[in-house]
Amino acid sequence: MFSQTSYLYDNSNILDKVIKNVGGLGAEVLERKPDFTRVFVSRDKLVDVIKELMKLENVYLRTMTASDEREVNGFFKLYYVFGVDSLHHTIIVEIPLSENSPSAPTLIDIVKAVDWYEKEAHDLMGIDFEGRKLHKFVLPDDWPDKVYPLRKEYGIEDLKKLYKPVFEYAKKVEAEAAVIIPIGPYHPALHEPEYFELYVRGERVVDARYVGFMVHRGIEKLGENMKYDQVPFLAERICGICGFVHSTSYCQAIENALKIDVPERAHFIRSIILEIERIHSHLLWLGVALHLLGYDTGFMHAWRIREQVMVLAELLTGSRKTYGINIVGGVRRDIDENKIRKCLNVLDNVEKEFKTFIDVALSVPQVKSRLRDTGLLPKGEAQKLSLVGPTARGSGVPRDVRKDYPYAAYKHVSFDVIVYSEGDNMARTLVRVDEVFESIDIVRQLLDKIPKGPIAVENWDAEPYKIGIGSVEAPRGEVIHFLITGRYSPYRWRVRAPTYQNLPAVPIMLRDSELADAPITIASIDPCFSCTDRALVIEINRGSIKEVPLFVISNKFRFGV
Amino acid sequence: MVKFVKIIPIALKVGTVTRKYPFERPLITESFRGAIEVDPVKCTGCGACTRICPPKALSLIREGETLILRYFVGKCIFCGMCADICPEKAIAITKEFELASENLSELNVDVEHELKKCVKCGATFVSTKLLNKVRSQVEALPDDIAELCPNCRRLEILKRFTGGR
Repeated sequence: MFSQTSYLYDNSNILDKVIKNVGGLGAEVLERKPDFTRVFVSRDKLVDVIKELMKLENVYLRTMTASDEREVNGFFKLYYVFGVDSLHHTIIVEIPLSENSPSAPTLIDIVKAVDWYEKEAHDLMGIDFEGRKLHKFVLPDDWPDKVYPLRKEYGIEDLKKLYKPVFEYAKKVEAEAAVIIPIGPYHPALHEPEYFELYVRGERVVDARYVGFMVHRGIEKLGENMKYDQVPFLAERICGICGFVHSTSYCQAIENALKIDVPERAHFIRSIILEIERIHSHLLWLGVALHLLGYDTGFMHAWRIREQVMVLAELLTGSRKTYGINIVGGVRRDIDENKIRKCLNVLDNVEKEFKTFIDVALSVPQVKSRLRDTGLLPKGEAQKLSLVGPTARGSGVPRDVRKDYPYAAYKHVSFDVIVYSEGDNMARTLVRVDEVFESIDIVRQLLDKIPKGPIAVENWDAEPYKIGIGSVEAPRGEVIHFLITGRYSPYRWRVRAPTYQNLPAVPIMLRDSELADAPITIASIDPCFSCTDRALVIEINRGSIKEVPLFVISNKFRFGV
Repeated sequence: MVKFVKIIPIALKVGTVTRKYPFERPLITESFRGAIEVDPVKCTGCGACTRICPPKALSLIREGETLILRYFVGKCIFCGMCADICPEKAIAITKEFELASENLSELNVDVEHELKKCVKCGATFVSTKLLNKVRSQVEALPDDIAELCPNCRRLEILKRFTGGR
């Protein structure tokens, strides 16, 4: 069985040395636990400290948050959350920034993955990063200047009044013409608004660029105005396919911050539902992938098998998709003997049917040749970009939150982390296929070992300004919620979904590949935008860029890097 | 042997799985959560459900001398938190989910309560049912103070303690 502590102490010398070095650089260690360190650094020492931390093996950036704490202690703060997989250790680096002109040195040269986080902090919180010229990233073009929505001086109602779409501006950039653009010559991924510019020479993709954030819903700000027990239901609606991971992650963050002792049975129920969600999500992805490859028979059968899992989810929780059973301190619905028996029956059936189906589907010659050796992502790039989930595991990086930072009931079960080293679309597909079987096995073990007892903590008190992290291995990769508690609702809530981390890898996969492989390559990270998708092909040779007004709108992103 | 043709016997064995909804009943398991139903007899109009409701589908509206607990099903996310939190167990979760309508007002369900008037200043302050419930549970509550609004009550008690000075 997997043991966290023994593993940890073997390697802690390296970590101790690094922490000591960091201390020598002028950083103050605020909190030190076996699996968790908090370091406080002044802004001029930040670069040296991060350079020292990056010397650790397998270190990666899990998330970064800017927080407005002027009401509490008079400054803005940045929190960098690093993970060291092999040591099962989380390091939070905190730096204070002055109230009047918050600015920090950029880390883009040291940690490549920090790119989007810095852009977002600049856009939503007004933090400047020295040495980087940042433009609007998340907010729309006609958003008023110097209004940073996540700062505490703006309420939701103020923001609604402030933002009025400027039609004159839309005319100026010829955005009205953009409406009549036909949806690209081909249809890439999963029917959600994403926007990839593929620069094509002949049939080959020369370069690619991603533009996103068209459906930013301001969920973090909304959550800061809701009560603790209402937020899980909002969190569950962040993603249309894997919502439960978000509500679990949010609850874990609060439980972690306030040290709430969740009953063991609740942990087991959460893990069971999480694994059922992984099964149905992977089956959905397999169906969509086969559909993109033109093998619609496979799509139908994958979704037919998935349907049993959806009905099972409804039986266990009361709803097919947005399960709504998580509350802070436990779960709301119990699992009885009858349900356990039905669950085991369904799992047996799904395992049998899926095995025969996937053998057939992956032996179709067209499917095989479309998946093999396309969308290559080398291991080095995967490590540099701090990728997570099947995308990283398909490139030989054995990163899995269930194993690296165990949560819920995962320390009670044994399972393998599926790793393939080829880094092509086939590797990522096989990771998901094997994970379905692994998940079925995990659910069986959990159902077998589920302990008796209560399923939720009755009462708990909120203590303001405590920091908590909740992370869950979603079907797509690691979801991490960073949370600072307030009195009745979260003070700062930061959600990082796996696609946020994985999308920067897509241009690398697309570079120098066939145009026909682009749909499956984009889909291979299992992207999670939301709603209709748009694609645009610009042929440099023919100079047809001028005919595409959407390109004008995306200018800000082209020069923003 | 071409392995991929093996899908044909699988497909033949399974047959058609698509259900002809809405002509056939959809499959709903026994734990399905649908729209809620408020029992007007049990409900006291305390408003606990309106405070927990995440999408704010439940709201308390004051119209003259009636207090309305309005359930707008168009916003409801079927989470059932209101049923869990209701102190009177007046809210039941049904299995109904086909609730579309051409008329927006049909999506509202109202439960009306009579409001109690303050005997001193005449302002309405709480539903009669909730006041009666509190009086049945708190024995030491004097009748003359119970029917005062919070503001008048504060003044009255202050007057008693200071002896009317």
